[in-house]
Amino acid sequence: MKLAFFQGCNIPIRIEQYAVSSEAVLKKLGVQLEVIEEFTCCGYPVRNVDEKAYIIPSVRNMAIAEKKGLDIMVICNCCFASLQKAKNVMAGNPKLAAEINDLLAKDGLNFEGKVSIKHFLTVLHQDIGLETIKKQLVNMVTDLNLSVIHGCHILRPREVTLFDDSFVPKITDELVALTGATSLDWRGKLECCGAALGGLNSDLSENLLREKVDGARAAGAQFVTPVCSYCHLQFDTTQLNMNDRQQDKEVLPVLLLPQLLGLCLGIDEKVLGIEQNSTIEPLHVDNLKSMLGPPVEKKKKKRKKRPQKEAA
Amino acid sequence: MKVLLSLSLLVFLAGVSYRIYGWLTHTVLTSDEGSTPGRPASALKGAVGTIFSGELASVVKTFFTDVLFQKRLFTKSALRWVAHSLIFFGFIALLLMHGLGTGVSEFFFSDYQSTMQPYMTLRNLFGVMVLVGLGIAIYRRLTDKPQRVKSYVSDWLAIAIVGAIILSGMVLDSSQISSYSAFAEMAEDYGDITDPEELLPLETYWAAEQGLVSPNVAKPYDPALIEEGREIAADTCMECHAPAQSAFVSYSLAKVVGPVAHGLGEEGVVNALYYLHIILCLGLLAWLPFSKMFHVIATPVSLLINGVMGFKEPGKDQANVVNRRMIGLSACTHCGSCSELCSSLMFYESFQNDFILPSEKVQILKKVAAGQKVDDQTMANLQKGLYICTSCDRCSEICPSGINLRELFISSRYQLLNRGIPETSMLSHFSFPLSLTKNFIDDHKIALKKLEKIFKDSFTRLKDLTSITIGDPVQVGTDSYQSCYACQRCSNICPVVRLYDDPVKELDMLPHQIIFSLGIGNKDIAMGSQMIWSCSTCYLCQEHCPNKVELTDIFYNLKNAAIRQMEGGRA
Repeated sequence: MKLAFFQGCNIPIRIEQYAVSSEAVLKKLGVQLEVIEEFTCCGYPVRNVDEKAYIIPSVRNMAIAEKKGLDIMVICNCCFASLQKAKNVMAGNPKLAAEINDLLAKDGLNFEGKVSIKHFLTVLHQDIGLETIKKQLVNMVTDLNLSVIHGCHILRPREVTLFDDSFVPKITDELVALTGATSLDWRGKLECCGAALGGLNSDLSENLLREKVDGARAAGAQFVTPVCSYCHLQFDTTQLNMNDRQQDKEVLPVLLLPQLLGLCLGIDEKVLGIEQNSTIEPLHVDNLKSMLGPPVEKKKKKRKKRPQKEAA
Repeated sequence: MKVLLSLSLLVFLAGVSYRIYGWLTHTVLTSDEGSTPGRPASALKGAVGTIFSGELASVVKTFFTDVLFQKRLFTKSALRWVAHSLIFFGFIALLLMHGLGTGVSEFFFSDYQSTMQPYMTLRNLFGVMVLVGLGIAIYRRLTDKPQRVKSYVSDWLAIAIVGAIILSGMVLDSSQISSYSAFAEMAEDYGDITDPEELLPLETYWAAEQGLVSPNVAKPYDPALIEEGREIAADTCMECHAPAQSAFVSYSLAKVVGPVAHGLGEEGVVNALYYLHIILCLGLLAWLPFSKMFHVIATPVSLLINGVMGFKEPGKDQANVVNRRMIGLSACTHCGSCSELCSSLMFYESFQNDFILPSEKVQILKKVAAGQKVDDQTMANLQKGLYICTSCDRCSEICPSGINLRELFISSRYQLLNRGIPETSMLSHFSFPLSLTKNFIDDHKIALKKLEKIFKDSFTRLKDLTSITIGDPVQVGTDSYQSCYACQRCSNICPVVRLYDDPVKELDMLPHQIIFSLGIGNKDIAMGSQMIWSCSTCYLCQEHCPNKVELTDIFYNLKNAAIRQMEGGRA
């Protein structure tokens, strides 16, 4: 399977490790990704200002993928929602669709609506499948608790994003469970990281983030696992920048799902760029590696450990 | 001639000095930084420091890969690289071998004579290289569709002057090949042939086989005379004069140029062409520091700096950051590589603002930095163009001249915002990546405050409302607000409302109140509520609404409308 890899604007320059680790994981699982140079911004940043200007870039990006005969894979939620929204608008508003296609004709492009927009999680869960991934695992982790934050724009509005069950999503939890880690139930799991207010209303943005950091910590998370690039930047950069950080407790480190999955698929942590996450210390990586063990021996290990613990 | 040469050389040197002085003292937008003392000293310190540090190897490497080989251009486009290489190497070779023939060529090749091989062929070959390169460049400028990047007079002028130099040289060469007076002069001076008995066969041979247009001999030529002339030529001419065919282009051209020149009076034509060629060359020399051709000096400097510094780490020495900004402006060749890859390309289509494209931002910043007067509307457009940027840094990655566009644009953006023109684009998510960098935090806040004031002045607030009237249904992109049955689930689930002890005071109106206000036909108080700008766009309200009121989508619509009204009120 080959997909056009839509990275958006944040990932190539600010979260390269997300792209690299996703690529490495998918390569192991037989999915080939093509990065298309002509892709531009999805349009999301301009949505507050002009809805039409928000739609047009995504239509163009989809038209480019259609021309290449590829479906699109996205890892950023906001890009994902923008592309799905544009597809939705093009199908439901023929007048606007015609107008946008006229504009695209300048670039020799035309949007027909053939392309599907797949989120990285859907590619793993549906196109590859849990069983196939399971067979490839060389490691599993034990005693690892994660707070997954889905982010908003992958889930809602459900009529547009068409991803999982927007009230009770399962895909991410099942993927985390494959690795042996626990995806905690916590109050921020389906909520907002505050990124959409960053730079516009930064105090409010930080308050929303702080609520999530505290919530994840209270739930006992060792790492937070954001799905969206904006959530990632909130946890991995804004968290460190926040004014009251000194008085705050420990930083909540970020571990991306493809980084965890990559470790369990036997990919080197350097390739996965785990230490490129700004909130990750070498200690965290050592910790993670010490949790790794062969998938089949997992149960035996647990048995061995239990009596030891009881003895201690 | 010497006077002309000295004059243009003086202009050139003065121009280059002035431009370098500009690098180290001028600024792009603010005069504050101009007074940053010690900018020349910092530049010197930086340059010397680099040479005497471990960076020297990387400077040398950059010189070969980026400056000479033009690797950055090669990665961008093989065709453009071919064009640039042909022009660059062809022209430099001509300059060294032919332009500076007496100085350079004679130094390396003691037997250098412009009339001998291989120089005659090489001269034409190099000329053809330049012309082919220019041809590709013209082709690209004309056929690159869609033409978002504009070509200015300055772009065409650079191509025209270089092309004119090469063409005038070739035509001059061909007019000399066909010139009878040149023939007569050379026969007398070099061959010492004055006897008509000898001159006639030589002239016949030269007319028959060497492109001469002779007033004395005409077709059909006597084969015996040609043979006799060939022998004389072999004895007296060929020692210092390779056959005219060696200059393969000029020789072919001579067949056309010769008769025309003869008709016009060939001596005058040769002279005129000679002066034209020289004046074009000297003109280029004098014009170079003031044109985009100055990139031949500025771009190598910019590339070397980029090779050492890159663009991702902020510069430590602020004086040198400003210096690099100025060098960067001179190094831009307006090639458009950045704009072709710009993430904001489609926003350009929506907003029709040239300055969204990075290459056009640099062009206008160049003008501003040079002190040219730019009207207020253009400056406001530039500010918006600078803001409608996703901070993806693709322009800095791709720039074949190694300009730190990231730094140039971000600093320019805030320097303009500091002038006090409100910028509604700050209310977009383009502000998000800026908030991550921790630069210009205070400038950003001050500029936002200005917007807040306009926002407050533009709309009626709920608390200012004295009576309630029922208006006509409002346009907010959907009618779903009419389905609200006042359960207030939206406000109860809103994570922003939850964060405040007194949300009504902070947000003016809660989500359900906004929907109510639309229900009574009052869009104005909805647009004027802080709530829409505090909405985190998480869509929880919309998702949980039992009656499918599209709250978040409506909020987006209200934000768009509020910005339009704020913009309109200002105009």
